[in-house]
Amino acid sequence: MKRDTGRNPMIERPLPPPQTPLTRRTLLQGTAALGFGLGAGFPLRPASATVQIDITQGNIKPLPIAIPTFIGSGSDIEYARNIPQVIADDLRSSGLFIPIDPAAYIEKISDLDAIPRFADWRAINAAALVAGRITRDRGSFGVDFRLWNVPASGYIDGRRYLGAPENWRRIAHIVADFVYEKLTGEKGYFDSRIAFVEETGPKERRIKRLAIMDQDGANLHYLTRGDESVLTPRFSPSGREIVYTSFVQQQPRVMIMNIETRQREAVGNFPGTTFAPRFSPDGNRVIMSWQQGANTHIFVVDLRSKAITQLTNTPAIDTAPCYSPDGTQICFESDRGGSQQIYVMPANGGPAQRISFGEGRYATPVWSPRGDAIAFTKIQGGKFSIGIMRPDGSGERILTEGFHNEGPTFSPNGRVVMFFRDPGGNSGPSLYTVDFTGRNERRVQTPAYASDPAWSPLRS
Amino acid sequence: MKLKIRSEFVISAAAHAALLIWCALTFSIAPLTASTDSLPVDIISDKQFNDLMAGARSAPKAETAKPPADRIDEPKPTQSLDAIAAVADKPEVKPIPKQTAEAKPSEPKPEPKPEAKPEKAAAKSEPKPEPQPDPIAEAIKKDIRKQEARRAAEAKAKAKAEAEAAKKQPAFDPDKIAALLDKRKPQRQPVAGEQINQEPALGAPTGRAATLSITEIEALRQRLMQLWNPPAGVANPQDLLVKVRIRLGRDRKLAGQPQVLNSGSSSAFEAARQSAIRALYEGQPYDMLRPENYELWKEMDITFDPRDMMRG
Repeated sequence: MKRDTGRNPMIERPLPPPQTPLTRRTLLQGTAALGFGLGAGFPLRPASATVQIDITQGNIKPLPIAIPTFIGSGSDIEYARNIPQVIADDLRSSGLFIPIDPAAYIEKISDLDAIPRFADWRAINAAALVAGRITRDRGSFGVDFRLWNVPASGYIDGRRYLGAPENWRRIAHIVADFVYEKLTGEKGYFDSRIAFVEETGPKERRIKRLAIMDQDGANLHYLTRGDESVLTPRFSPSGREIVYTSFVQQQPRVMIMNIETRQREAVGNFPGTTFAPRFSPDGNRVIMSWQQGANTHIFVVDLRSKAITQLTNTPAIDTAPCYSPDGTQICFESDRGGSQQIYVMPANGGPAQRISFGEGRYATPVWSPRGDAIAFTKIQGGKFSIGIMRPDGSGERILTEGFHNEGPTFSPNGRVVMFFRDPGGNSGPSLYTVDFTGRNERRVQTPAYASDPAWSPLRS
Repeated sequence: MKLKIRSEFVISAAAHAALLIWCALTFSIAPLTASTDSLPVDIISDKQFNDLMAGARSAPKAETAKPPADRIDEPKPTQSLDAIAAVADKPEVKPIPKQTAEAKPSEPKPEPKPEAKPEKAAAKSEPKPEPQPDPIAEAIKKDIRKQEARRAAEAKAKAKAEAEAAKKQPAFDPDKIAALLDKRKPQRQPVAGEQINQEPALGAPTGRAATLSITEIEALRQRLMQLWNPPAGVANPQDLLVKVRIRLGRDRKLAGQPQVLNSGSSSAFEAARQSAIRALYEGQPYDMLRPENYELWKEMDITFDPRDMMRG
């Protein structure tokens, strides 16, 4: 199979609902519904109060889901087998689903437009079923799939995705996002990428290369050769550019790179050290820190007019700025109060409000794409923890703690936080994800040590 | 003059006496049917009245009362449950229990017709005599009883139909004196119910059986809480409220698709809807619901509201 080129746009088509055979059961249900309608108009018995029951507590647990091999023949058999595997891996990694072992499946789906034998899927406790097929419609590669509610014997929805066969993994991620959204009510995050700093070589002479891969670790590419060190890559809202800090001749500078063309240029004409950049939500500006003597201030660069605006001017180190998703506010870290803390200020300047008041120091704040949380690194008692709090500073929660956890970044739906962990000693850092509830901590597989992850927006 | 006055007096006295005798005769033969029983009176609320068990006013109060039933079918209100108590006192007359092991809810059942031919009804309910040492005497007795029963039923049914038509003012019909004199209780329609129960308990004829007990509701709630797996951690938990009307069959399984009563357009609502419906299907059969309360649980509105659990 060829590698993902990353270019080909997906075409999404609705899939016509499956043909529901006219059975005695459906007829009866129809008649019953008609009778119910008539009965509502002409109540036969005095209306007695219907029993009302409130269910206010549920049992949140991963949803068992069955994703059998898709229907496909000939050269498509490999896709038919691999696409469900990628979907299952995506859903499993979220911690919200448990894909059922295919060895337990009873029914073999052979017709996508037929009603599955729900009893067979209920027998293995499946709550949902994803059935699919590989299509070759006039030569173009496509994937059709349908999502079923097994306990209710009901059809939920289906789609057809057309694209290049080499993009089969992306199609699988898009299907997984679709299933995730239908069953959890939130947008998915599987069709997204991770930019990070890959670290190789001995600890004293680390080679740091800018790398990019799919969120599940596939399709790894290197964006820089390693002759210059890189730090803190961040995606643009379109996902097509990365802004990062590059050490050109030991001098940190903020650079922008087009991922497709690998073209890069410096942001603004700053003498001295610039670092900790991020895009604004509209993608037209970059916010960053500029070191001036002992102090560091926050500046905004307009990418079109190249105009520079200074936002902070205190005798302190103000850094790690990040816009709120609506672009009206900025959170950043500052030691203006004596120790490193998180502050929030209006995006066009103005008074800053401190929001972190717990013990210890707070760094690297990042605003959730959902807007309802700010993730941070907390340094306390020699430990580096990852936590989240509300933008007003309330509801602080630590998601993971240990020797060194740093650099949180949110998944596109704000549901998962990725960070890097360095166990210390002679080893190096690795990437991890944790659900924003603090559960489901997982290591992200990378070929070498990895740090400074940045999660891209959804690609589709 | 003296004589004349006396004769007028005598005529008047005779007329009065005749009127009194007629009145006495008439009223003694056809007493007013209303409120012949003396009743212990309790003041209860409407709710308590509605919650009264179907039963007989004269029957003893039972610890765990059930509505009376002779056969298993859709429960229907009977016109006189007090009659059951009386019949139950007469062991020789047993209603025909159409005992089927399994309830067949879909089986169509003709409505009981008050004007049904009484011969048919009488023939249907064959009295079963107690075992007697003399079979011949027993056969004769049986014959006589059969005839009696038929005659009585015939007359009684007619009388009843009329009595019902004009309950407040029972008319005196000399043709029916025999029937009126017959103090036997009328033959009655078998009472249908969830379970065979021939022991009437204290209650009101129009009682609606017991309400769903707290334990039934709580057990149902527990089951749904265990099975309901709501979407966790969405940005707008208020989108997750789903109100569903379910209708259950006698097998305590869903009879038809649950009907979602509210609507929403967000994907969070759609996911919540799917999760609620999933729980309702997974929870069946709802075997914690008692069959005798079918009328109460055959339709229920269940609100799934996870907002409380999403707080904090």
